[in-house]
Amino acid sequence: MTDTRTTAYVEFKGVEKGFAGKAVLKGMNLAVDKGEVMFIIGTSGVGKSVTIKHLIGLLRIDAGEIWFDGKRVDQLPERQLAPLRKRIGMVFQSSTLFDSMTLAENVALPLRKHQRLGWDASIEQARIRLAQVYMAEHADRYPAELSDGMRKRAAIARTLALEPEVVLFDEPTTGLDPVSARRIDRLIRELADKLGVTAIVVSHDPPSIFGIADRVAFLYRGIVHVVATPAELRGSPDPIVQQFIGGKSSGPMETPGF
Amino acid sequence: MIARIGGGVLGAGRAARELWIVYVSTLAGVLRRGGARGELVRQLHAIGNKSLLFIVVTLGFIGMVMAYEACNQLGRITGDYSQVGGQFIRLIVSDFGPTLTAMMLATRVGAGIAAEIGSMKVTEQIDALRMSGVLPIDYLIVPRFLASMIMTLVLSVIGGLVMFGAGGLTAEHSFGVNPNVFYDFGQVRPRHLILMCIKGLAYGAAIPVVAGFCGLRARGSSEGVGWATTAAVIGGSFAVIVLDFVISAAALFLTGGDL
Repeated sequence: MTDTRTTAYVEFKGVEKGFAGKAVLKGMNLAVDKGEVMFIIGTSGVGKSVTIKHLIGLLRIDAGEIWFDGKRVDQLPERQLAPLRKRIGMVFQSSTLFDSMTLAENVALPLRKHQRLGWDASIEQARIRLAQVYMAEHADRYPAELSDGMRKRAAIARTLALEPEVVLFDEPTTGLDPVSARRIDRLIRELADKLGVTAIVVSHDPPSIFGIADRVAFLYRGIVHVVATPAELRGSPDPIVQQFIGGKSSGPMETPGF
Repeated sequence: MIARIGGGVLGAGRAARELWIVYVSTLAGVLRRGGARGELVRQLHAIGNKSLLFIVVTLGFIGMVMAYEACNQLGRITGDYSQVGGQFIRLIVSDFGPTLTAMMLATRVGAGIAAEIGSMKVTEQIDALRMSGVLPIDYLIVPRFLASMIMTLVLSVIGGLVMFGAGGLTAEHSFGVNPNVFYDFGQVRPRHLILMCIKGLAYGAAIPVVAGFCGLRARGSSEGVGWATTAAVIGGSFAVIVLDFVISAAALFLTGGDL
């Protein structure tokens, strides 16, 4: 077997994925460096969320390779994914808090399962994590009693509880008011700047993309069409890129379903 | 046409394989004591206590109708009601009690499990569980599996007794059958009780596994959850009927027809 090891911290190589016979990713390549905030943008259904879910084994690729920290991870069986999921956390698009648990219990769950903490110790840790996202006073409330923004912050606290090296954010600001959205942006930026956390963010939100991204990968027709800094993206002469970031309804871009 | 049939067969084969995996994973979860004890207690309450009224009412009515029809037919043929109660309880214990209880539970409990797990699937909560280091089958299906086995058996006994009691009242008021004659447990043999236990446990095991499997296969949004719920009710009821046939046939075979 050819040694295809990579120097990037996270790397997708020739990744292909289809659903019900329809190809979504068609040989996608992307390399993410340690400590950077990489945004993945593109139209709905282009495979952005699918891409990041492959990294943690929530979906399986049809072909290609995925590498993390010098190790190939796309072929790991479910049992061996637990250590990977300690190092790579994910904040889902809908906050995905468990309705039958309080916020503290939600945050404590991965601490008990991954770090084998006892009930009391895990709840104590969970309260500290919730305080870091300004949710301490809501620790004993249930998700249904809270706003979308508060639930999102609690979900972030749950993901950060395990102190992951990489955090995957799936549309973290979608559905939030502008103030809450910018707070989430600031949190992502601080994670990278203060703790050296690598963030891979799937987003449609221009203020987020141009506010906090180190680099942006534009996914189009199943491959990464371009990887650039936000400034390079703004100045790109590519008409497809310009149509997307300008939000223009007419142009050369193919938008299936419209 | 051929491609469509082939696709259907392949799809059914894949589904059967996935159902088998869910079943085996559930058994493995039980063996490694997966699932929280508190969740088991919660499920015992949700599956058992909350189904009690439903089972009592439905089996009570079915018992009344069946006893009425039995007495009605006997009245036309022989007019002798002395055997009707004894035969009725024998049938209730060996078949009607557990089977009808399980059919009712397949609708109420199966739909509930599929809807809950299906909504967790489409809202990515199942993925969030996996990310939290929790095996979804251990957390979601194992407690329901154990609770359903226990409570299907308990409710089968209660439902069967209610059925018999309601049948006796109907026979007395509509046909003047003496309760002392009707309430005759003499024809119930240990093998009937064993059969009841086997059926109750088998149905109780099948309902949450089928419903959980349907919930885990939910795709998309609310439509996917609706599909999962419908499939769970159909699949659960079908599983009960097939198991009834298989277990009854095996019992007849093992007892040489003397059941």
